[in-house]
Amino acid sequence: MESENVPSSIVQFAQLDKLLSLGRANSLWPMTFGLACCAIEMMCTGGSRYDISRFGAEVFRPSPRQSDVMIVAGTINKKLELAVKTLYDQMPEPKWVIAMGNCAISGGPFKVKENYNVVEGADKLFPVDVYIPGCPPRPEALLEGIMTLEEKITGTRRWPRV
Amino acid sequence: MTLPVHLRHDETFVLNLGPQHPATHGVLRVKLTMDGEYIVKAEPVLGYIHRMHEKLAEAGTYPQFMPNTARMDYLHALAFNHGYALAVEKAAGIEVPERAEYIRVITVELNRIASHLLWWAAFLLDLGGFTPLLYAFDDREQIIDLLERVTGSRLTYCYMRFGGVYNDIDDEFITGTRDFITRLRSRMPRMYHDLVTHNIILIKRIKDIGFISEEQCRRYGATGPVARGSGINYDVRKNEPYSVYQEFDFDVPVYSECDSMARYMVRMDEIEQSLRIIEQALDKLPDGPVMAKKVPKILKPGLGYHYSAVETARGSLGHMLVCNGDKNPYKLKLRSPTFSNLSLYGEVAEGMLLADALAFMGSLDLVIPEIDR
Amino acid sequence: MSVIESVKAAIEKVVPFSETVIPADPAGEGEEQQPDQVVHSAGAKEVDFAKTGCSLDVLCTAEQILDVAHALDGEQLFIESIAGVDWPKEDQIEVVYTFSHFQDSDVRVMVRLRVPRSEPKVPTISKVFSGADWHERETYDFYGVEFTDHPNLIRILLPEDADFYPLRKDYMP
Repeated sequence: MESENVPSSIVQFAQLDKLLSLGRANSLWPMTFGLACCAIEMMCTGGSRYDISRFGAEVFRPSPRQSDVMIVAGTINKKLELAVKTLYDQMPEPKWVIAMGNCAISGGPFKVKENYNVVEGADKLFPVDVYIPGCPPRPEALLEGIMTLEEKITGTRRWPRV
Repeated sequence: MTLPVHLRHDETFVLNLGPQHPATHGVLRVKLTMDGEYIVKAEPVLGYIHRMHEKLAEAGTYPQFMPNTARMDYLHALAFNHGYALAVEKAAGIEVPERAEYIRVITVELNRIASHLLWWAAFLLDLGGFTPLLYAFDDREQIIDLLERVTGSRLTYCYMRFGGVYNDIDDEFITGTRDFITRLRSRMPRMYHDLVTHNIILIKRIKDIGFISEEQCRRYGATGPVARGSGINYDVRKNEPYSVYQEFDFDVPVYSECDSMARYMVRMDEIEQSLRIIEQALDKLPDGPVMAKKVPKILKPGLGYHYSAVETARGSLGHMLVCNGDKNPYKLKLRSPTFSNLSLYGEVAEGMLLADALAFMGSLDLVIPEIDR
Repeated sequence: MSVIESVKAAIEKVVPFSETVIPADPAGEGEEQQPDQVVHSAGAKEVDFAKTGCSLDVLCTAEQILDVAHALDGEQLFIESIAGVDWPKEDQIEVVYTFSHFQDSDVRVMVRLRVPRSEPKVPTISKVFSGADWHERETYDFYGVEFTDHPNLIRILLPEDADFYPLRKDYMP
C-alpha cells in the first residue's frame, strides 16, 4: 500500500503524522448509521461474539460530528440521498467511508432496468475507501474491512493476511 | 415576565427526528410538533428505504422474487420466505411434503425467537441499557449458527422453495436445536426476566405508557404483538392455520393492559411459545422428502386473486397475488404488518412526553425496510 | 348468526349478490389465457377460502365503497390493505381493499372497484377506517389514484417531488 501514501497536508511532520495516523487507525469511531439489513450485521459485529472493540472501533457515535468513519450499511435511495450527503459533509476531517454490502457498492439486487428509486452505489455521492461485498457481508468481513482501512491509514497491516 | 415554554400553549415548534437517529431503528423520520417536552402532533415520514420490491416482483418470474422477500423484513426473513412460498403454492396448487412443512415451522420459529431477541436488545438500547444487547446477541448467535447450517446464510435467508425447502436438516441441527432450547430456557428467568423485566427502571419507563385501545387497533389494522398487547386474541397461526400449525399445542399470549409493558410481555412470552412449537415439531418430525416432485420449472399459476396471510414476529403479513397466467406475477401486493402498526403512532403519541414517545416507538418493533418495501 | 353470515347480510344491503358464480380458477392446464379474462361480473359473491384466501369477493363501484366500508365497520372488521392493480388494456385501474376479522377465522372480504385510468377518482374511506389513510396514500403514490376528501393526500414512499406513478404498467424509468 506504499503508493497510497499521499501527503495529507502541504507541511509534513513525518514522525508526528505517522503517530497520529497510528492513533487514528486504532481508534476509529464509526457512525451509527444503519440503513437496512447490513446494519444488523453491523450490530452483530459490535455484539458479544465478534466484538469489534478488539480493534478499537466499538465507539459507535450517533452524531456525524463525533465520528471519523462512516459505515454505509444498506441501500441509499433517492429520498435519503440528500441526508446521507449531509451526514458525510458534517463529519470532520480526516474521514473515511466504508461501503458495506452490495447495495452500498453498486445498488446490489436493485440495480435493474426497472430501478426508479435506488442510488446505484454510495460512491456516486462521496468517495469510498473500502468496499465490503456481500448481501449482507458477514461480521468477519466487516472486521476485515476495518483492518483494510487501518492499513490504508497507517500503511502497515495489523497482522499478516491469511 | 416570560413564562416557561411549557406554559405558553400557543407556541409550538417543530422538531425533526431522523432519518438518522439511533432510536428510530433505521431510517424512519418523524416530524414532531412540540409544546415544550410534550408532543402536539407526530407525523411519521416514510420512504427513506423504499426499494421497489413490488415493481421487482412484476419484473421477474415467480422464483426470482424469493430472495427479495428476505430483504424486506430481515429480522424475520424466513416468515417472509414462507409467506411468499405459501401464496404461490396456493395459487399454483403445489403440494408440500410433510417433512418440509415441519422443517419450515422449525426454522420459522427459530427465526422468530431471533427476531424477538434482537427487538429486545434494541428496545433496551433505546431505553439506555447496553448490557442486555450482549446477552441477547449471545443467544441470537446460537440461533444464527443453527440456521446457517441449514440455510447457508446468516440473515437474509432464501431457504424456501415452491414445494418445499432447499436443504434437509441433519442430526447435528436437531441436537443443536434441542441444546439451544435447554440453554435459552435456563437463561430466560435469570438473565432476561430477573435482570430486565422486573427491573424497576424498565417498569417505570414503559408501564402505562403508549396506550393503544382495542378499537384503535381495529381501525388502524394493527396486528401481531401490538394487537395482542391490547387484549385482542388474534394470531394468524391460530385464526387461519397454515402449514402444520394446527398440529401443535401452543398458546397465544394476550395481555389487556394496552401499554408498552403489555407488548413487551407478549413478545417475551412468545419466545417460550415458539420454543414449545419447535420442541413438538422436533418430536413429531416425519421422514420423507423435503421437496415436492414435479414442480414445474416455469410456474404459471391459475388466473385470479389469491390472498394468503402468515404471522411474522411483527404481525399479519399478507401477500395478495394477482395472476394472469403469465410466468411472472401480474401484481404482488405485500401487506406488511409494521406499516399498519406504525400508522397509529401519530394518534397515540399525541400529548406524550418526547422520551415516552421514543420508548413507545421501540415497543412497536419497527423494521423500516418492511414498512417502505 | 355467525360472523360471515352477518357480514354477508350487511354487504347485501349495499351490493347485491350476483347469481353467476365464477370459479376462482377457471384455467385448464396448458390453455392460453388472456389477462382480461380475469374480469368478472359485478356484485358480491362467495369464494372458496381455501383456494383464494378470501371468503367474500365484492365487486362494487367507486360510489358504493363508502357504504361498503361503513357496513364492514359495523361488523367490526379491520382493514388489512389497499392495493392498486393496473389494467392498461381495459384502460382501468383497480383498487383492491381487503378486510379481515380479529375473532372469527376465515373471514376475509376482498372489495374491488375499477376506475378509468385517465381520471382515477375514488372516495376516501379514511374517515371510517383510520388505517386506510396511509394505504390510500400509498396507492396514490404508486398508481396516481386520487382519493377524494382525503385529509392529507401526498406522496408517502417516493420523494415529494416525484412526478411519476411507478407501478403503472407503462411506466419505465
